[in-house]
Amino acid sequence: MLNLEAVGRQFGSLWAVRDASLSVEPSEIVGIIGPNGAGKSTLFNLIAGAIVPTTGVIRFLDQTIDYGKPYQVARRGLARTFQIPKPFKQLTVRENVMLSALRRHHTPRQANTVAMATMEFIRIIELAEASVASLTIGQLKKLELARALAAEPVLLLLDEVMAGLTPPEIKEMMTVIGSLPKRGITVVWVEHVMMAIMNVAERIVVMHQGQIIAQGTPADVSKNPAVIGAYLGEKYAYAAR
Amino acid sequence: MVEGRSPASVGIQAISFSAAPRRGALSIIEMVVLASCIVVAVVVSNRYAVDIMIRTFLWAGLALAWNIAGGYAGLISFGHAAFFGIGAYTSTILLLNYGVPPWFGMFAGTLIAGCAGALLTMVCARLRGPFFILSTLAAGEVVRIAALNWRTLTGGPEGLEIPPVPSVVDMVFKSQWPYATIVIAYMLAMFALSVWIEQTRYGYYLFATRDDEDGASAIGINPRHTRTAAMAVSAATTAIGGTLFAQYFLYLDPTHVISPDISFQFALICAVGGLGTASGPVFGALIIVPLSELLRGLLSQSTSGLHLVIYGIIVIIVILYFPSGISGAISRAASRLSPRAGLPPVSNLKNSDAES
Repeated sequence: MLNLEAVGRQFGSLWAVRDASLSVEPSEIVGIIGPNGAGKSTLFNLIAGAIVPTTGVIRFLDQTIDYGKPYQVARRGLARTFQIPKPFKQLTVRENVMLSALRRHHTPRQANTVAMATMEFIRIIELAEASVASLTIGQLKKLELARALAAEPVLLLLDEVMAGLTPPEIKEMMTVIGSLPKRGITVVWVEHVMMAIMNVAERIVVMHQGQIIAQGTPADVSKNPAVIGAYLGEKYAYAAR
Repeated sequence: MVEGRSPASVGIQAISFSAAPRRGALSIIEMVVLASCIVVAVVVSNRYAVDIMIRTFLWAGLALAWNIAGGYAGLISFGHAAFFGIGAYTSTILLLNYGVPPWFGMFAGTLIAGCAGALLTMVCARLRGPFFILSTLAAGEVVRIAALNWRTLTGGPEGLEIPPVPSVVDMVFKSQWPYATIVIAYMLAMFALSVWIEQTRYGYYLFATRDDEDGASAIGINPRHTRTAAMAVSAATTAIGGTLFAQYFLYLDPTHVISPDISFQFALICAVGGLGTASGPVFGALIIVPLSELLRGLLSQSTSGLHLVIYGIIVIIVILYFPSGISGAISRAASRLSPRAGLPPVSNLKNSDAES
């Protein structure tokens, strides 16, 4: 589904991502964790085609992606959310969700049906006609997810969808994300809320200073001394034991 | 904050906003305004009043054309006078030099202006906000200076004159009524195009590109193509207005036709009426054009420049107190009159959210 071979990206003299190799299988949920500045968002932007890699190759559905053309990558079935929500500010919630369904469903009427179903699924249907300016951060995060899903992607990149959500909302969102593989959607997910990602993801990739330092099941990763040192801390390792 | 999350208040929030202008749907107010424009046109027979009416509808059509780029795609242009001038000059030059009727000549202008608009957007592809606006202003000036100096083609500062010999083929009429009919048709066509854009996926692609380029790219929209197409359509339709202007006034010179004042006027009409809506430019023209003409007529003899002062003050008041334009104010007023008016105002909910 998705293959990264020795991918790197340099900003000035700094390697934001270096020598990252990763392979994602269909219907998998892969979590990416790591401290701030580890290169997670850069890795996402590389996969989505938003930035061009300095080194390496990125393949999506067995084809090299169009570097620097995120809209081409999106058309091939990749959808993403942004860490800082990027809604279409002058439109309503429904129109925001409908817009991403328009690529596959050519008329607003057809796209609207998809949008309504998606908003029902994410449970923001009651906000359908609300203006985006009136939403709380939690609602904006849900809108981001709804917009990504309405594009009916095969691969979904989630960038910190839990940040800013209340505990009940996190529970709700965990259920939603956990159900995506059943819908034929592969998920690559960056998250800082450990409780959520460690429980839902099947495989965890740990990044530190631009490099992938560990990969494995949540249980394995949480016992890995390098991961504990770089990110999780002794307290988490103790709690996980 | 607790109340902000409760199901009841979420419902209120949704209801309060449901009155936001629904894109694509023709409101009753809009239909009444358009119909009354035509009724007034038929009833009024004073030459001065008909003149103001023709100018108003021509400007309404032109503002609708500007709005496709400036309102829907967020490409605020202060260089549209260039496209207006290209339309006016192309059809006039074709008529005077080659005897091509303006009915066909205007499509040549449309084509050239459309290409010029696309070229401008491609050249300025990386510029945003004020930098884009300034480059459009500069592009307009380049066209004006070119027209001033290319004497063999444009007649330079002396301009071009279309012989006032009435002829249907040459789109020159003795009576004002054929002109009134043509400009109303132009305005209605531009209004229909705007409503169509609002209803289709292309329109939504414009809105998405305007509101967030990264977000638009992430859902498969090519922002560069979308912007270029919007500017090309806007420029091409502006050129048609240019031809109509030339045929009505029968005289063209670069200083008046390709002036930044004309570009500012397009933007001002849309800002006053409501950017990014089909009704906004029509409302804007209905207020701005008669206002400036009447003030000039009433006050220009007493104190020179006074009409501009008063005009400026009125424009400032409208922009300060109706930031979403007349069309936004009308839709808000309509929502207040609706049966759900008893619900708490939206601003309270917003505040309670902000405090959390």
